[in-house]
Amino acid sequence: MAKTSKPGGAKAKPSKKKKSGPESIAMKVQAPKPNPFETIWSRRKFDILGKKRRGEERRVGLARSRAIEKRKKTLLKEYEQSGKSSVFVDKRIGEHNDDLGEFDKAILRSQRERQLKLNKKSKYNLSDGEEEDFDIPGFGALSERDDFGEEMLPDDDDYGGDEAADIEKDSAGLKQNIMEMGSGGDENKHKTKKEVMEEIISKSKFFKAQKAKDKEENEHLMEELDKNFASLVQSKALSALTEPGKMNALRSLVKKNIPNDQVKKDDFSASQKLDQEKPDLYDKMVKEMALEMRARPSDRTKTPEEIAQEERERLERLEEERQKRMLATDGFSDEEDEDGEKPSARRPRAISGDDLGDSFLLDEEPRTKRGWVDEILEKRDAENNESEEGDSSEESESSENGSDEGGSDEDSDAHEENPSIKDWEQSDDDNLETDLDGEEEEGEENEDDDDASEKAMKPRDSSKAQEILAIKTSERHKDSLGSRKKNADEKQPSTRLDIPYLIEAPKTLEEFCALLNNCSNSDILLIINRIRAGNAIKLAAENRKKMQVFYGVLLQYFAVLANKSPLNIELLDLLVKPLMEMSVEIPYFAAICARQRILRTRTQFCETIKNPENSCWPSSKTLFLLRLWSLIFPCSDFRHAVMTPAILLMSEYLMRCPIVSGRDIAVGSFLCSMLLSVAKQSKKFCPEAIAFLRMLLMAAKDEKLMSNQNIQYYYLMELKELQPLLCLRGCVNKIDPLNLFTIMDLPEDSSFFDSDNFRTSVLMTVVETLQGYVNIYEGLSSFPEIFLPFLELLLEVAQQESIVGPLQDKINDVAQLIKTKVHECHMSRQPLQMRKQKPVPIKMLTPKFEESFVKGRDYDPDRERAERRKLKKLLKEESKGAIRELRKDNYFLHEVKAREKALAEEERTEKYHKVKAFLEEQQHAFKSGQLGKGRKRRR
Amino acid sequence: MVRPYAVKGKKKRRKTEERYDKQEEDEEENHDQELDSVQTKEEEEPDQEEKEPEEEEEDGDSVELEGIPLAPSTQKPKDQPGVIFILEKASLEVAKVGKTYQLLNSDDHAHFLMKNNKNPGDYRPDIAHQALLMILDSPLNKAGRLRAVYVRTEKGVLIEVKPVVRLPRTFKRFSGIMLQLLQKLSINAAGKRQKLLRVIKNPVTQYLPIDSRKIGLSYSSDKLVKMHDYVETFSDETNLVFVVGAMAHGKIEPDYVDDYIAVSGYPLSAAYCITMICQAMERKWNIL
Repeated sequence: MAKTSKPGGAKAKPSKKKKSGPESIAMKVQAPKPNPFETIWSRRKFDILGKKRRGEERRVGLARSRAIEKRKKTLLKEYEQSGKSSVFVDKRIGEHNDDLGEFDKAILRSQRERQLKLNKKSKYNLSDGEEEDFDIPGFGALSERDDFGEEMLPDDDDYGGDEAADIEKDSAGLKQNIMEMGSGGDENKHKTKKEVMEEIISKSKFFKAQKAKDKEENEHLMEELDKNFASLVQSKALSALTEPGKMNALRSLVKKNIPNDQVKKDDFSASQKLDQEKPDLYDKMVKEMALEMRARPSDRTKTPEEIAQEERERLERLEEERQKRMLATDGFSDEEDEDGEKPSARRPRAISGDDLGDSFLLDEEPRTKRGWVDEILEKRDAENNESEEGDSSEESESSENGSDEGGSDEDSDAHEENPSIKDWEQSDDDNLETDLDGEEEEGEENEDDDDASEKAMKPRDSSKAQEILAIKTSERHKDSLGSRKKNADEKQPSTRLDIPYLIEAPKTLEEFCALLNNCSNSDILLIINRIRAGNAIKLAAENRKKMQVFYGVLLQYFAVLANKSPLNIELLDLLVKPLMEMSVEIPYFAAICARQRILRTRTQFCETIKNPENSCWPSSKTLFLLRLWSLIFPCSDFRHAVMTPAILLMSEYLMRCPIVSGRDIAVGSFLCSMLLSVAKQSKKFCPEAIAFLRMLLMAAKDEKLMSNQNIQYYYLMELKELQPLLCLRGCVNKIDPLNLFTIMDLPEDSSFFDSDNFRTSVLMTVVETLQGYVNIYEGLSSFPEIFLPFLELLLEVAQQESIVGPLQDKINDVAQLIKTKVHECHMSRQPLQMRKQKPVPIKMLTPKFEESFVKGRDYDPDRERAERRKLKKLLKEESKGAIRELRKDNYFLHEVKAREKALAEEERTEKYHKVKAFLEEQQHAFKSGQLGKGRKRRR
Repeated sequence: MVRPYAVKGKKKRRKTEERYDKQEEDEEENHDQELDSVQTKEEEEPDQEEKEPEEEEEDGDSVELEGIPLAPSTQKPKDQPGVIFILEKASLEVAKVGKTYQLLNSDDHAHFLMKNNKNPGDYRPDIAHQALLMILDSPLNKAGRLRAVYVRTEKGVLIEVKPVVRLPRTFKRFSGIMLQLLQKLSINAAGKRQKLLRVIKNPVTQYLPIDSRKIGLSYSSDKLVKMHDYVETFSDETNLVFVVGAMAHGKIEPDYVDDYIAVSGYPLSAAYCITMICQAMERKWNIL
């Protein structure tokens, strides 16, 4: 019962709230027989700390009985009156107020009576007990209202309320009014309505005029101010304090105002409108001026530490990028790299146990996508830096080249150049140039149009990597760098003075050759530098094309120079530096040039190899170019537009060229070492070089020891017969380091190639290269399989008695190295195992909860839906409440009706019984012939 | 008058909840069946052994060689016996601090608790948090051998924690989730209508498996055992229920516990105690 009646309390609650403490107690006391249910208090299930207990101490039983009481007063009354046609309205004072007792009511009523008597209006009336009949104008409305309404206490005589309000507004008017009232107090009463109206009209006219006057004055003031302000603006006093942009705005504002002023004079209403706008604009301006910065400090000059730190960061970034490119599985351009990287980032990584979960907002992917704009900007910065430091690093680079390759300036014998090769080279170069020009013109438009986007492509790779390379070398040669540079600086001004300072970039090789005719090496470099300086790409847009042509010419010149029979090593070295710098400037073009040349060389090679008579080993020109490209372009890239074909070409040379002479061996071993240097960083595996080295070692063995079993290993090589070219016959006292340039200049059938001296040197280099490869490939899992054959070979070679001591030691060292590495590799190998199934963890689910939960609030992200739901809930609540109330009302009514019915029934039965009794008595009397009681009674 | 409604509503809720789980399971089963049927159709080979490795490869991104056979998979964890944890006397209490409701803890509400004549040292929801994390992070749970976790608060509110829930790692967020749970009485999974946490009716014994053995852990117990050896004494088929106290002071004394043990001579924290239990169970069941 308590439970059911609890909701019913909702209705009873407000009425209860109104009552103050003592009354409720009075009610309790009033109850004649305390209902045992009423004494039960509602119990709270959970005691929540800190929650106020107000409104909770509810006695549901009591509330229920109160609700019933209330119904008795309202619903029952209504019900009782429902059958009645007329209603008696009780309008006595305080009759409806339950709070008042009888005595209070009486007091109220007597008060009202007295007040009515003491009323001003009725003061002059004769008290003849006919107060009610007097027609007082002020009480006209009152008579219609409820006489007993409490709020109708007539304590003021505010008849004609509107007029009074007007009067109060103006003190002057009031005074006047009072004067009038004072002069003719009784006249005031006799004022006709017309007079009053006139008065009001005149007053309002006066006010209007005054207002207009005020406004005009204000406008005059404002105009004056505007004029002052305009003069101030024009006087440039402000300009010193404000920014130029703001000044302009101010001026325009002033200009706008001046015509406005003129318009104002003509059209009053229009100016009013404009006036309203103007202050806003002005205010805005003032605020802006107050907020604006007075002066901006420029960026602080960076300390050397900071610069060094930045440089270091940049280098680290570049190295990181290089590593990325080295490992890239797909694509060689950066864009593709980044694309390839995204999936890996997206790949569902294994969630660590301490992961905060998806719902945690801060846990976002830290890797932000770089916009292409950033990349380009960054790239530009890098390029700028590069060109700045190019002077130092590149020079050292060239010097390194010199030490690497150089050393033989002098030509020895008359070198027999293969005319055919020379022919194709010349023609090829020309063709190439025209081809490239054509291509470039196509590319040119792109380049000029969207320089940036093009730059962001491939050239980046080359330039960056090249830079890295340069920097590395610069680190190595830091000490030597300073002095060299100084020397160069000193030399340049002291050289011939008749070289023009501004040289137009030559368009063809002939022009260039003519320009360089009879020039010393340093002069040539000077000329090239001046050409480059005069036609720098940054100076003009068309210079780019010029420089591209010049680059082609320079490269051609380099190739031609490399092909000359007495090699001008010094000049070649000097040429490397400008070539590298230029390929940084025009990387795209440089890459195209290189690719084209590689393509040509390859086709040429394919043709020459068809004829077994020819020596198809690369010429010195090709070797030089390959070396140059390996310096210019990054070797460590997984895939590179130039280096990949270059490496392939080198490998192909090693694979397919038959070894005929000792010179071939020297060239082959040089290619091997070049491949080694190329593959050093990326640790690419080149089986061709390994096979070639092995073959050389086999050639060093004695003829009789040659077994056929090894031959099948060389099925890949296009090798007909393996001559023991390197087999040492006699003893050599010392090992001379081989010089490639000397060898290149030697004729094929030179006796030098048959000497044991040469053989020992070749063997030495072969073993050294092998050692390099061993060191590179030690990480490969197939290391033992690759290098174990070498072990046997080396041991066999070392056993030969004709090997000199140092060489033998070297061979043994390498053999030992291979042995230990193979052992390590074998040790680390694991036996074949069954594939283990990773245990699959149960799928965890993240709970959904709010950061700051408030009970009753809808946390639906869709606001509209939440709102709708809220309204629906409210509606449901209300309708439920209404239904509940109605149900209770019905129940109550039903009870009442049932009671009535029972009463009626009782009455009826009683009546029936009465009547029946009467009839029975009559019948009895009739039958008994008036004998019995009745007669007795009658008597 | 209202009573019939209440009865009706309760019944309905329980029914729907059960139905959710069933539906999910059915769906999963259907999905598996579909997969199987698709594969049989594609391959037309009823060979079971060949099919399984392929399924595996589809699931995980394994780059291992194909020729190497897979180790045989183990039994489904659902059929195996499991572990149930009951955290007794956890101090998870919501109070109205200022104008908002908050989960009481000794750090933030020391002043409030003092004003209300409570000992701030008793309000340590972090113990329950740590303990729950230890349970839910254990390999035991990852292997699917945890059946359920029940938390009974100091006030007697019983909370069921599903083993699949990924509880917030930070205490602040844990407070948030507990606050919502104690007011809303249930917490759903994000994006799903599965209930991960909910307030359920006492007593806890009605939710425990019939044949389970209830072990209470108490420092005060005289029976000091080595956990590994103790766990080994039970047969592999029995479900184990561990009752651990998640309070700062005092001891647990629920009536349903069969056996009180002490796992260390020192009083241990709830989290470490649970770790010990988990490790013992993992060793028993060979979960790595």
